[in-house]
Amino acid sequence: MSRHRAFQLASGIGVGVFLLLVPFLLPEIKIHLAIETLIYSLFAISFNVLFGYGGMLPFGHAGLFGAGAYATALIVRYYPATPLFLILLATAFFGFLVAFCIGFFCVRLKGPSFSLCSLAFQMFLFAVALKWRTVTSGDDGMGITRPDLHLPFVGEISMRTVPHVYYLTLFVVALGIFCCYLFLKTPLGNSIVCVRERETRASFLGYNVFITKLAAFLVSGILASLAGGLFALFQEFVGTSFIDLSMGMSVVIMAVIGGPAHFLGPVLGAAFYVVLQDWLSSLTGYWMIVMGILFVIIILYLEGGLIGLAQKARMRVWTRWSEKAGQ
Amino acid sequence: MNFPLEIYLIQATHGIVYGMLLFLVASGLTLVFGMMGILNLAHASFYMLGAYLAYTAFRYIGNFWLSLLLSPLIVAMLGIMIERFLLRKTYKVGHTAQLLLTFGLFFVVGELVRMIWGTVPLSVPVPRLLSGEIPFFGNTYPMYRVFILGFAFLLLVGMALLLMRTRIGILIRAAVSDAEMVEALGTNVPLVFMGVFGGGAALAAIAGVIAAPFLSIYLNMGSDALLDCFVVIVVGGFGSLPGALVASLMIGELQSFGVLWIPRLALVFQFLLMAVVLIIKPTGLFGEKE
Repeated sequence: MSRHRAFQLASGIGVGVFLLLVPFLLPEIKIHLAIETLIYSLFAISFNVLFGYGGMLPFGHAGLFGAGAYATALIVRYYPATPLFLILLATAFFGFLVAFCIGFFCVRLKGPSFSLCSLAFQMFLFAVALKWRTVTSGDDGMGITRPDLHLPFVGEISMRTVPHVYYLTLFVVALGIFCCYLFLKTPLGNSIVCVRERETRASFLGYNVFITKLAAFLVSGILASLAGGLFALFQEFVGTSFIDLSMGMSVVIMAVIGGPAHFLGPVLGAAFYVVLQDWLSSLTGYWMIVMGILFVIIILYLEGGLIGLAQKARMRVWTRWSEKAGQ
Repeated sequence: MNFPLEIYLIQATHGIVYGMLLFLVASGLTLVFGMMGILNLAHASFYMLGAYLAYTAFRYIGNFWLSLLLSPLIVAMLGIMIERFLLRKTYKVGHTAQLLLTFGLFFVVGELVRMIWGTVPLSVPVPRLLSGEIPFFGNTYPMYRVFILGFAFLLLVGMALLLMRTRIGILIRAAVSDAEMVEALGTNVPLVFMGVFGGGAALAAIAGVIAAPFLSIYLNMGSDALLDCFVVIVVGGFGSLPGALVASLMIGELQSFGVLWIPRLALVFQFLLMAVVLIIKPTGLFGEKE
């Protein structure tokens, strides 16, 4: 176990150092991809709090992502003087409110009803974004200017250079993922898994099933809206494509491809998705079909996703080693 | 909000027409859910494919009636293939995999349609035989909608007769209430299920074909139908066919009067209805089992 732990620690440090050095290692166009990967990682992790841990499959998770994106864009547009971190904080709070309204209805439902109810709310938010032209500019979307970051003792950091945006995104995403990890380690976080496994028994043991599921939904909503806000800041634009069916689908694809059984599976899925998308979209405009077919194949033949595959391969190597050591 | 009485009558008839269309799509979904507990999200794409195939068939053959025959046949074949070669693999794995798979298929079909037919809305002309109007309480009413009403009603009666009066119908109803027991008694339930799946796909495609001339063919028709059907199934009760009929008609009326009174919020009404039903009776109006 200690060897396993040491391996984990070493690979963690390795990945951390690599993430910090990305702006020095990669050309600028690839840094864009790295930022996108980071944001999608946060989004996919928030999805997986519900799917992997809570056993709830929301098809409309992009509703929360889009709500966060629109919140950020509107704050930047109407109150340009707001400090950057305050914007993100307000976005997270807005995500909390929206998640409460949606979760309050959805969380009572099980299985397919939950999935489709969340999709219905997403379609509703999509319709609002499309039709409420005076606020959201409908189809055209809104262009915004990324505000600069004021840090105490350091001074002003311009957000016009891509590496700075990268570090800001890395900081917020890492913080979000870390907080999510800590939350899942708390007794409340553990009871989410407990409720997933056997709802009736959990309720007899005294867990409040509704509150537990709602808590999972709220945490997920906060993280998803934060990811949406970051994405709006990164793109300097928000439009209905942030909240449509494809966005909701892509987060499902990321989590399933990466492997929902592991905390970091969705991160792997997000990285895979972004890289594959980048490569495919240079070949064909219909890359979404390839992605969808890949998704169907993974569901049919590769249940654990990529991380499940990696774990299986590692198990095989371990057993071979231990067999050799035994001989 | 003062409209003359005829407007109400016409609007109510519009609602029934849309409700019947919705029922054609939702019935297959309900039967499949009742038999195997699968909520087939790809069902809405059968509806969409039916309409698009009808457009292509009409382009090449030029006959509406032939496309009404051809398109459901093709879609039924496709449905049977999907059931046999994709869905059947997931029965052992569980409901989440089925949901994910059918959602993936819904998405893939949507993207394929975008690739083949493009993003521009298409239209199929109303067949000449039905393009007239008939007198209706001092007003006129398009003949085509009357045709939809009659045709859907015929299909409804046919389906009821099939389910209530034939041996296959008995098997289907038995399998809905307890598939395992029917299988144990010596019926090839997977075969029956494949047939029901194909039949449901064909019904959805028929709805797509006859909806094409009056709703036009557009890319989001799949997701629109998916949401409407979902509301129908929740309101009517999961797996209940009479419930689906009543709920379809309710949604049809709600939409048509919603558009009349508060056009901007027409979308909200059905979700409101769904929320109310979920709060008062979570199993739906006619639903019994979980």
